Amino acid sequence: MNTLTVSLCAIALTSVQSLVIAQSLPTASTIVKNTNERNDGRFVTQTTTLELIDKRGRKKTQVARSFRKYYGKDKAQAFFYQSPTNIRGTAFLTFDYVDKEDNRWLYLPALRKTRRISGSEKGDYFLGTDLTYEDVNLGSKISETDYSHKVIGTEIIDGHKCYVLENIPKTDKLKKELKYGKTKSWVDAELWMVRKTEFWDVQGNRLKTLQIKDIKKIDGIWTATTLYVMNHKTNHQTYLRFANIDYKTPIDDGLFTEESLVNGI
Amino acid sequence: MKTKPEKFFTWVTKNNKVVIIASVVLIIMAGALLPGIKMNTSPTAFIAKDNPVLAYRDKVREIFGLKDPIVLSVFNDKGIYNVESLALIHNLSEKVKSIPGVDPNQVTSIATEKNIVGTSDGMSVSPFYDLDELTSSTPGNVKRALADFDIYQGNLVSKNGKMALIIAEIMDTDSAGAASSGSKIYNEILSIVEQTEAGNNSIHVAGVGAVQDELLNKIDQDAKRLNPIIALIITLILILAYRTPKGAIIPNILVMATAVITIGIMAGTGVEFFVITNALPPILIAIAVADSIHIFGQYYEEIRDNTGRSKQELIVRTMTRIWRPVMLTSITTISGFIGISITASMPPFAYFGIFAALGVLVALIYSLFFLPAALMLGKLKPSKALGASRHHNDVFTRVMDRMGQQVIRRPKAILVVGAVVVVIGLIGAVQLQVNDAPISSFRPDDPIAQADKIINENMNGTTLLDIVVETKDIEGLYKPENLKKMEKLQNWIVSLPFVNGSTSIVDIVKKMNQSLNENQKSHYSIPDNEALVAQEFFLYAASGNPADFEKYVDYDFQTANIRVSMNSSLFQDKKVVINEAERYIRDEFNDENISASLSGSVSLDYEWLKNLGSNHFFGAGVAMLLILLVSSLSFRSWVAGLYAVFPVIVAILLIYAVMGFTDIWLGLGTTMFAAIAIGLGVDFTIHTIDRLIFFIKEEQLEKELAFREFYKSTGRALLFNLMALVFGFSVMLTSSVTPLIQFSALLMVAVTASFLSSMTVLPAMIYLTNPKFISVK
Repeated sequence: MNTLTVSLCAIALTSVQSLVIAQSLPTASTIVKNTNERNDGRFVTQTTTLELIDKRGRKKTQVARSFRKYYGKDKAQAFFYQSPTNIRGTAFLTFDYVDKEDNRWLYLPALRKTRRISGSEKGDYFLGTDLTYEDVNLGSKISETDYSHKVIGTEIIDGHKCYVLENIPKTDKLKKELKYGKTKSWVDAELWMVRKTEFWDVQGNRLKTLQIKDIKKIDGIWTATTLYVMNHKTNHQTYLRFANIDYKTPIDDGLFTEESLVNGI
Repeated sequence: MKTKPEKFFTWVTKNNKVVIIASVVLIIMAGALLPGIKMNTSPTAFIAKDNPVLAYRDKVREIFGLKDPIVLSVFNDKGIYNVESLALIHNLSEKVKSIPGVDPNQVTSIATEKNIVGTSDGMSVSPFYDLDELTSSTPGNVKRALADFDIYQGNLVSKNGKMALIIAEIMDTDSAGAASSGSKIYNEILSIVEQTEAGNNSIHVAGVGAVQDELLNKIDQDAKRLNPIIALIITLILILAYRTPKGAIIPNILVMATAVITIGIMAGTGVEFFVITNALPPILIAIAVADSIHIFGQYYEEIRDNTGRSKQELIVRTMTRIWRPVMLTSITTISGFIGISITASMPPFAYFGIFAALGVLVALIYSLFFLPAALMLGKLKPSKALGASRHHNDVFTRVMDRMGQQVIRRPKAILVVGAVVVVIGLIGAVQLQVNDAPISSFRPDDPIAQADKIINENMNGTTLLDIVVETKDIEGLYKPENLKKMEKLQNWIVSLPFVNGSTSIVDIVKKMNQSLNENQKSHYSIPDNEALVAQEFFLYAASGNPADFEKYVDYDFQTANIRVSMNSSLFQDKKVVINEAERYIRDEFNDENISASLSGSVSLDYEWLKNLGSNHFFGAGVAMLLILLVSSLSFRSWVAGLYAVFPVIVAILLIYAVMGFTDIWLGLGTTMFAAIAIGLGVDFTIHTIDRLIFFIKEEQLEKELAFREFYKSTGRALLFNLMALVFGFSVMLTSSVTPLIQFSALLMVAVTASFLSSMTVLPAMIYLTNPKFISVK
């Protein structure tokens, strides 16, 4: 065989290979569907540690006992703050509905009153973190309703093969609401969990990077125990760490009420 | 036996080609450095980089993430609470957000900010209005909502309801990762404004960021426009003076060499080009050409008076005769500039002095080497302007001659007038006022000056004073007693003149407390419970960006910033506020738990302007002493030195009188004039004394004849010297940067006064007193 034949064969082989790769990539809707159908427990109780770091490296640490429970596709979450002292007893309750405006309440012990927070958007920041309500809500899932998706390849993240999805909010109104012009997600090809997301603002400026780390199997469910966000525009950082994770103990519906916010746990 | 100067100029003329090539190579080398010049129009450029006030301001800016924003104002005489104005504010905000390099999250207006309203069961956070839902009832609702929002009153909307602002901050890098260019964004905002249909509203663009960027634009335009015109005018004067091609071409090359080499060295050494540096090329051009005028005057006189001699002989004779006054006047001019540079506390002035001195040195070197070498080229041709003999006089010679006759006839009257000017000048100098404002860099009719004016008339003001409050303990700013102290300080400071408002974390605490208590007015106050303050901020974080309070308080709630708005940026007004605030902080605010200090543009401007007056007189004094020293040494007589300096003092005092009586401030643009005017003005007196000594001592002419010959020869050359300076400086009058205009106007008056005084007061003094240094023993 002369060199020409060899190189021709090589080219042919490479083309076949890339064809195979292209064929083996699942469609965007498959990836999104698999990710969202993954079991993340009907309810969970955990200790959430929030580490907030400003651009000058100063750190605030808050610890809350937190609860989450699905009601069909709707979801209730409650946070009971244990430290630091000046916010101990503060409690936060949120109901995320698929088809109506979310409901949020905050109990302030120093005021001895529960206040309803209305009119806030999905794209508003969640309790001083770099995550928005929507980010917290999604966790390691992907929103089907708000974005159109495109598979753009595969990459290795933390040693795991991931599909790379480009997600663009379907309408300009959604872009404004979510405060993102585009996101890019790296979805673990085996676990169907998002391992990393990059965010761009409405004007296309690089905004922040979310990394989902320390994924462990707890009570038979793959669970992310650390979320880390770096905001590139403000240089503010957030760590959310989850511990004492319990998928087994059922949560009473009475926990997700105004009374329980006041009484604490 | 040849003298040393004769030997030197014989060498130069013999090796003229080598000298010319070396001169040209030097120009090309320096020219190659020119593109590397760095511009700096920032107001902080006027402060030494190691100044503690600047260092503290930078620290404060870093803690609170403060930037110099570009501000757009929408003004409607009938009020902005109507559908059209609200839609315009919304659309402008959106358009500005989409400019690459503008931080879309840091574009602030009533269209981007949210309203926090307390309700019976909680609080609601929502935009003041939505473009899609603008109805006839919206404006009234927006007005009511904003009336309840103290922080925005006077800052985002005017208290009179006629104006709203859109404040845009620029990111360090744009979305493509490239460094943001402030001036590019500023120009883009200008074109957006131009393309926007404003209806009954008017849109203005201002703000500290805009001022700097607009200055950059103007300096650039000025430099491109002014310097060629100046070169052209100088050429015309040269043609008028000698009517020969050489007499026009050679000085032009010399002028080019001076400007290119000086700015080239500036670029090469990394010294920045400041606002006032723009005055450097015109000044250098006008000064550089003066040497040529005197050399050519002498040269054409030599040709006229010594027919039959070779060209080289004539050039050597010319240079041997003229090098001394040329060198001497250059040294005195350099002394003036050194006076500026060693007494200046502001870097741009110090550099201006150094590089102007360097430029004069370059001009001197080219006058002594390149000029005689270049004269060797081409044919020997007399100047038609000088006529065929000493008795053939052109109009300029006749004018000077007549002037001389008057002086000789009435020397005493002239001295009396001189004495009167001195007295009036001293009275005027006492009334001189140090004052300036960043915005006065622009002509009053400039759009940016108009914008600043209309914004200051309607809003709290564009001039900001930052009061940085620090508590002893971390989270000390949750403590009600500390917040109450800040509140008291804020309430007190608005009682000062030109202070119209202030914002701080205290205003936010009060607003949140009101919202949490069903929006009751009585709860617009600081709660008495430390934990409640902390929890209110926690509540805010339930929807706010974690960096939202960055402008007001640091992460540890230990350091807070009170932003005070003033609607005057005049130094004298800032001075009052600074002094009063410092007193209050010292006597009534500081204690062991909490302390405050001043920062921001107000304290920064105060810092660099407070020394301006003393710098000015110190600089002029040093220049005067240096010149007295140089001229005394070179005439080998202290009396001669005093005679050289005195007429210039008269001229400068005349300017002080004008400034003092017409309320022209001693400011950024005007402060340098005295030292430069002294350096330039003394050139006239030196040429005068030198020539009178020559006629009386060396040529041994009879006194009256010597004076008349002086007016016809040196007097005529000095007249052209003056014209070159005055017409050269006059081009700067068309500049769009006010300090340059003021500076050139004062210089023009000062050099004219110096010329007149050395043509009248000085000869009259010499004529009457017969000083020893001039009379024949």
